[in-house]
Amino acid sequence: MTLLEFARGPAIHASLILFAAGVCWRLLGVLVLTRGADLSRPRDAFGNFKGYRTVFSRAWPSDEFRTTTRYQTVLAYLFHLATLGVVLLIVPHIEFISGLTGLSWPGVPNFVGVALGTIALASLIALILRRISKPAVYNSTVGDYVTWIIVTLPLVTGLMAFAHVGFRYETMLALHILSAALLFAYFPFGKLMHAFWFLFSRAQSGITYAHKGVRI
Amino acid sequence: MSNGTVTPVFPTFEQVFQGFAGQIGMLRQMAPEPTMPDERRVHRAIDTLIEETNADEAVWLESCIHCGQCTNACHYFVATGEAKYAPMRKMDLYRRVYQREVGPLRWLYKLFTKQITLQDLEEVQELVYDSCSECGRCTMVCPMGIDTASLVHHMRSALVAAELVPPELAALRMEQKHQGTVFGSSPEALHRMVDTIRDHYGVPIPLDKPEAEVMVLSSAVDLVANGNGLLATAKVMNHLGVDWTICSDAFESANFGLLSGDMTLWRTQVDPIVARARAIKAKTLVIAECGHAYPALRWNPMLRSGALPFEMMYMSEYLGRQAREGRLKLRPLEGKVTYHDPCKTGRRGGAFEEPRALFKAMNADFVELPANKEYNWCCGGGAGIFLLERATRLRDESFKLKLHQVDQTGAEAVVVSCASCRLNFEAGRQKNHWNKRVDSLVELVADHLIDEPTDQTEEAAA
Repeated sequence: MTLLEFARGPAIHASLILFAAGVCWRLLGVLVLTRGADLSRPRDAFGNFKGYRTVFSRAWPSDEFRTTTRYQTVLAYLFHLATLGVVLLIVPHIEFISGLTGLSWPGVPNFVGVALGTIALASLIALILRRISKPAVYNSTVGDYVTWIIVTLPLVTGLMAFAHVGFRYETMLALHILSAALLFAYFPFGKLMHAFWFLFSRAQSGITYAHKGVRI
Repeated sequence: MSNGTVTPVFPTFEQVFQGFAGQIGMLRQMAPEPTMPDERRVHRAIDTLIEETNADEAVWLESCIHCGQCTNACHYFVATGEAKYAPMRKMDLYRRVYQREVGPLRWLYKLFTKQITLQDLEEVQELVYDSCSECGRCTMVCPMGIDTASLVHHMRSALVAAELVPPELAALRMEQKHQGTVFGSSPEALHRMVDTIRDHYGVPIPLDKPEAEVMVLSSAVDLVANGNGLLATAKVMNHLGVDWTICSDAFESANFGLLSGDMTLWRTQVDPIVARARAIKAKTLVIAECGHAYPALRWNPMLRSGALPFEMMYMSEYLGRQAREGRLKLRPLEGKVTYHDPCKTGRRGGAFEEPRALFKAMNADFVELPANKEYNWCCGGGAGIFLLERATRLRDESFKLKLHQVDQTGAEAVVVSCASCRLNFEAGRQKNHWNKRVDSLVELVADHLIDEPTDQTEEAAA
């Protein structure tokens, strides 16, 4: 079995199983806990439902915090959207997903894929530079840096494989798939889980404050 | 007797503040010493956190991505720039306990992490007491919406269990727990104050009526120092002509159970107030200008308030509603004023519009602070921090943000509706030789009442 066969076969499949099982385990492990009841009378009878707005409204910071959050917010959006584009719109990725699920959709031309990958990588670098330069603001842990490396590796190896830089193409492709496998396998164990938590966390806080008639 | 001609007997708030500063200094010597072995204190803290961790807390602890947004929303961080005061750090120790003891990956964390120590708990004391007023401003910016203030409150409960409450709060907690008083605000002190107000100012305070529509709470600050606070309350309530009373066995708004994190004491302070309000068939319970009393009573999650036969309102909320309904006759307020929303009644209480209705009723030249309502900056003294000597630098530095905000409005006076905020503003005013007036909302309203002649005075005039 070649390295590429290993990457395309057992490695990526095992990582996806770990990803799915791990995400379910971590989500359920938290969500099955009891909810602390707030017995106090809400300000408005149906006011608590307004709290769900926070799930959407918190997608962009309030004007009150515009200057302090601008850099982080803009770069985070660039990173997330570009990464989503790379994952879902590049032809080889669609073929891979198609192989797993049978679903298929049209991809973007190569130059768009490269542009998206470059934007994602550049924004990641811009984010880590700020994290390093402002230690008091970020309170970084080892996990933050490990996560950054694990997210960056598939982008770097993907761009290198496409540009035929580094090892020969098959090796680079194998390394790219292995780095993606590492990302999937690591996902349930670190802060990447915020991809799921944000929904619950925003909703909870929105409801907690809406209970008192406060819109956050 | 016409109040306008009476020589004041109560101290000015400047003197009240100075008196309090002296008393607070003595609290440190009265603080209880830890009695349990170190290991037991650590275990009690861990057990408390385990017990208080529900799905909400777990989700919030899981969600932080260290994006740093919360830092610039926190007055203590902005004022000092010191990394340790970043809001996200205030939940680090809680997260360590959660990951090892409660979280779905606890088996993994137990392999790689160590249990917390007493030293860890000692170090976190400054983060959850001195440098977090549980104001909730960081929640307003957090992209995950994490309610750090709630998590900090659980940490305070854990430190109560570990006998690590800061000395001033510990002393007051013990006083309230064992004597049932705060700064000596006993029923006798209430009686004395009521007598003084009646005899000297001619303002009656109906004490211990067997039945009344409105039950009004007082607070330690008013009873042992700022008599003008209770005098103003009485004037306003009498002006409204409502059937009201103060109960000498349930009058204290201050709750050092809530402030220290002692949930048992919190409940034991609340229960007699609720029982008394029921017994006198009150329809409304008015909470004195004591910010944290609002969450202690109105938003008490352990109290099924929807099932109670009375409604709980903060003083500013009650007066604002009366003003809206046209029951308060007020003279116009001269000069430009601004209003500081106490964190506990504003962002964490939702009583925004009622105090503003009072300014409208006084036809005031009212201007909002640059950051107001949900975005208001804490004055720096909330959640008991005003009492902590060790937090003086944090308070003083963070107050400068508030000072700057008020200066930007061009107002002559800033009005507050919380004794703790007011004491902190007064400290900041004196230390910075600030040329602004700091007024209490209820006292301002009392000073602007248009008193219509009563039957008695009409008879006297005839």
